[in-house]
Amino acid sequence: MNRFVIVVLQIAGLYGLYLTGSWIQQVLGLFIPGSVIGMLLLFVLLSLKIVPERLLQQGVAFMIRHLPFFFIPATVGIISYAHVFKGKGLLLIAIGLFSTAMVMAVSGRVTQTLVKRREEA
Amino acid sequence: MSTALLMMVMTVAIYLATLFVYRRHRRLYTTPVIVSTALIVIILLVFHLPYETYMTGGKWIDRLLGPAVVALAYPLYQFRDILKKMFVPIMTGTVIGAVVGIVSGLLLSKWAGFSDLIIHSIVPKSVTTPVAMSISESTGGVMPLTAVFVMIAGIGGLLIHPFVLKVSGLTHRIGRGVGMGSASHAIGTSASMERDTMEGSISTVAMVLSAVIVSIIAPGLTLLFM
Repeated sequence: MNRFVIVVLQIAGLYGLYLTGSWIQQVLGLFIPGSVIGMLLLFVLLSLKIVPERLLQQGVAFMIRHLPFFFIPATVGIISYAHVFKGKGLLLIAIGLFSTAMVMAVSGRVTQTLVKRREEA
Repeated sequence: MSTALLMMVMTVAIYLATLFVYRRHRRLYTTPVIVSTALIVIILLVFHLPYETYMTGGKWIDRLLGPAVVALAYPLYQFRDILKKMFVPIMTGTVIGAVVGIVSGLLLSKWAGFSDLIIHSIVPKSVTTPVAMSISESTGGVMPLTAVFVMIAGIGGLLIHPFVLKVSGLTHRIGRGVGMGSASHAIGTSASMERDTMEGSISTVAMVLSAVIVSIIAPGLTLLFM
């Protein structure tokens, strides 16, 4: 089979898992999004060897390599809310960045300290 | 239909062009998601096209975000042994990061005197868009505005990442991954994944854990600090 066809079929498989995840979310009324449930589902299927690793391999590699591409339409959405960030609103960007830096530094440092302690033990 | 197709082709073409430049000239300011977004926004502004028009084509790409997240199960599976061994440090870091993110965003915007609507919209910014939007909805924020804050945390996270690493002395791949996944969700994860598959997988785990943790604790913390 052609490489392109394989990748398309495998992405269709990933889409099927995403739909299944969304369905589980709706039926059980969960707050976790369908995509995350789909990912956990695939992880379980791989762990139990129900889905062999090579079955979706090329499709997965393609999606992960181009992950940033799939965010572009969502990030372009900033255009609709530009007015909120005028004048005093600029402060919101600073707050968002500062808070993000805090999360990154604190969560990373806590983990790093615990990991190093564990590696030394 | 032709507009939708044009928007799609434009997005693919711009992405491929920025990727081409990025592969030859790897810099923070050439990161494809940042440059592509900026170029598309400029094009829409120049031609007076509203976001809705762009999304007639953009929604088809947006729809692949779901399966793209599902694909992250693979790196998770590849690094399952290390995840099992380091679960406690990863979990602890992520929980503390979730609290720091919610409380700092809430208090800073409250002290700056912003409306409740904006404060509720900023609270869930460090988690992936679909989860952040549903948290915002349940606590009384504005969903599209939350999506913008999620983008600030994601793209902003990429921009400040080198600086944060230097200042906080983050050297370990596991620490870096947890920091990225907790603060900048899937956008940060995709950058981590590009640097190092293990760091990216840790970031994936932190992103998923963070999404679950934030949706559980955000409503309570919001009540406590408002």
